[in-house]
Amino acid sequence: MEYIIKNGTVYDPTNKVDGEKMDICVKDGRIVESVSNNATVLDANNKIVMPGGVDSHSHIAGAKVNTGRTLRPEDSKKDIWNREGLRKGSGFSVPSTYKTGYQYSGMGYTTVIEAAMPPLIARHTHEEFIDLPQIDKAAMPLFGNNWMVLEYLKAGDLNMCAAYVAWLLKATRGFAIKIVNPGGTEAWGWGKNVHGLDDEIPYFGITPRDIVRGLAQVNEMLGLPHSIHVHPNNLGHPGNWETTLETMECVKDIKAKPKFGKRDTVYYNTHLQFHSYGGTSWKDCVSKGVEMAEYVNKNDHLMVDIGQITLDETTTMTADGPMEYDLHMTNGLKWANCDVELETGSGVVPFIYSPKGPVYSLQWAIGLDLFLHANSDKVILTTDHPNAGPFIRYPRVIAWLISEEYRKDWIENRVHKWAAQKSHITDTDREYTMYEIAKITRANTSKVLGLSDDRGHLGLGARADIAIYDIDPEEKNGKKIEKAFLEASYAFKDGEIVVKDGNVVKEVFGNTIYVDAKINEELEAELMKDLTVRFKKYYSVNIENYPVQEAYANQWEPINIDATEIK
Amino acid sequence: MKEVIFTVNAEIDVPVELDSLLPKNLQDMGIEEIKKIQLPQGNKKISVDELCDVVVNENDDGDATLKVIINGSSMKLKRIGEKMDGGEIIVNGDAGMYVGAEMKSGKITVNGNAECWVGQNLKGGEIVINGNAKDYVGSAYRGDWRGMNGGKITINGNVGTEIGEYMKKGLIVINGNCKIMPGVHQNGGIIMLNGEVEGRAGGEMLKGAIVINGPLKSKLPSFEYEGIVEDPLIKLTKKDEGTQIKGAYYKYIGDFVNNKPKGQLYLSVEHNDPVY
Ligand SMILES: [Zn+2]
Repeated sequence: MEYIIKNGTVYDPTNKVDGEKMDICVKDGRIVESVSNNATVLDANNKIVMPGGVDSHSHIAGAKVNTGRTLRPEDSKKDIWNREGLRKGSGFSVPSTYKTGYQYSGMGYTTVIEAAMPPLIARHTHEEFIDLPQIDKAAMPLFGNNWMVLEYLKAGDLNMCAAYVAWLLKATRGFAIKIVNPGGTEAWGWGKNVHGLDDEIPYFGITPRDIVRGLAQVNEMLGLPHSIHVHPNNLGHPGNWETTLETMECVKDIKAKPKFGKRDTVYYNTHLQFHSYGGTSWKDCVSKGVEMAEYVNKNDHLMVDIGQITLDETTTMTADGPMEYDLHMTNGLKWANCDVELETGSGVVPFIYSPKGPVYSLQWAIGLDLFLHANSDKVILTTDHPNAGPFIRYPRVIAWLISEEYRKDWIENRVHKWAAQKSHITDTDREYTMYEIAKITRANTSKVLGLSDDRGHLGLGARADIAIYDIDPEEKNGKKIEKAFLEASYAFKDGEIVVKDGNVVKEVFGNTIYVDAKINEELEAELMKDLTVRFKKYYSVNIENYPVQEAYANQWEPINIDATEIK
Repeated sequence: MKEVIFTVNAEIDVPVELDSLLPKNLQDMGIEEIKKIQLPQGNKKISVDELCDVVVNENDDGDATLKVIINGSSMKLKRIGEKMDGGEIIVNGDAGMYVGAEMKSGKITVNGNAECWVGQNLKGGEIVINGNAKDYVGSAYRGDWRGMNGGKITINGNVGTEIGEYMKKGLIVINGNCKIMPGVHQNGGIIMLNGEVEGRAGGEMLKGAIVINGPLKSKLPSFEYEGIVEDPLIKLTKKDEGTQIKGAYYKYIGDFVNNKPKGQLYLSVEHNDPVY
């Protein structure tokens, strides 16, 4: 099928296209120079054209997402999806699989990364991916509290740690190294937590700093497409901004050496909003968003996503089990904690971020402080779906960023006065341009994930993942902006129209991307000797039954890496 | 006033959902339009005239209320009066699950028995069941911790388990007997139980009151005895003017499985042993 998208106003930061009127040609799933006369013509005059959205941090499938669905039938009832010709679905903050795919697609998103996969339950994650249409996806296995990792790092054996990481990525068909509350979730198994970067982890005797540094080194030894993806210690606690800065700073000397992709960063800090709290308690808590943004702007070794609070009722879920327990103690609502053998743990708690709440309004402002003071090359739009809010609120976040007037309306009429009092949100009149929106939702994400070779941009040869929105680039009406980005005029996935006027018109099943890093045979043999013993001794499954088989995807998209030089 | 009378004439196997036949929805509809309304039945739809005969009576007595009467109703008719906001529904026969669920105002009378979930998450208005009702009368939707928030439910017969779960406001009166766990997780409002109660009244309750005028067969040990009270005035909040009840009661506070509970449990002295 051939298409020519005519006269759209194009935003493609990867190729430095900033609002140029141009035609985009599509053939056989790719962007091409020209098409034949048989091409279907799509008039995009007065519309904007962007690459398909790429989300680098969202929770859309697997163990804790499913626990969230089970824990919250009332969330299911809140939003019923029932559209002719499509699979039915439900759930507002934790939507069912098909609904998740349809809604991302409706917003013009084409690639989404599940940000936390307990390795032991990888199969479940991939099973849900099979039923998640419209988008390409990948999952990041959790490494920051994994016994094997902790022991290899304790022994100072980075080579064995690298071999294990490579094996686990392949076995679970995982994509990158995710670290959540390094050491803290393991400590939670002992009824404890760690707070500072140099607190000792019970039994293992190493510290969060050792884990973050060790895994960052391993990541670059292997040359993985993405850097380490970190949720630092102390999430959600006033005063945590110092821990966050220390964590960012501790890998500054490590150099990026990806063997695939174009990233130049060695560290990715997710949902930075939750890690930018000043003060000592919620009474004297203030935004450190500006300070954090300044650090991010000044340093080349890192990228961040925000985790913007959307002021909704949602469901929090994270592999940071102790943090979820704290949350449950704060709001008194129901909770679940899951213990995933020797690999990780997690927790789930419903949460109501009321705009009338002083703390929630401040959290909202902290996210915006980060956005409004950071260099748009360094930040990424997320809500840590569903933790800070559901992904269907991205369009609203975009509206807050594009329109100062809309932001002001929220500050003056909708949120608690703490938002303005304890942050710097009113100090700036900055408004994001469409070009910058394209950066924080496409160009930055695809680059930092190592996937910018063929996605997140509209250059020749790129996948024809395209979003067209019916909006004037100068529009400042918040409601109009929100509607335009919620209901894409058109979305293309791999060269086919999958969305028209916000409605899914074609169901497609995307690829599952994973990293296959080849390691030295002798090193692998040594690793397997170690692992066999461990699986016999500690695991509830046999090592042979652990790896995710070929059948667990609609279509695999492996990223092959040669790391055989590690010995 | 306008009166719409539905008389069920079809034999149905799969339950039909009647939540679109609300008085307000039918206000401006003619009979032909009403007959064509599509009602969900399992994964299909059935039109009103396939299910029942319809009669519309209208007169100019200046009364603006719209009355819906359902004759020949059975447990197969679900969601009668769900989300109702004004007007009146009279059910002659039994009512299926979710009668009056999430209702805001108006009145529903069932001259028969009712299935589970009568007045689930009721917000206002009144529901009267003249027969029995099953479990979860006035309870919260599964998983929700924000239950019934106002209005009044009266069951003249017996009820099942877990009535008034997570109730926040309003009144539930049961004139027959009640199975286990009335007022579980109760967080406000009053439950009056006039028959025999099987047990575990007020399990995990935090606020609100349960008045038991018959015997409670087994009381939870996590309630603290406060003493005998005569004709108590039940106050649920500082501003509450109070609800006067008559008689002598053993008064307890609970449920102490929670921190600082304020739930009040009154057991009639006449029907209960003094167990402290
Ligand atoms: Zn996350």
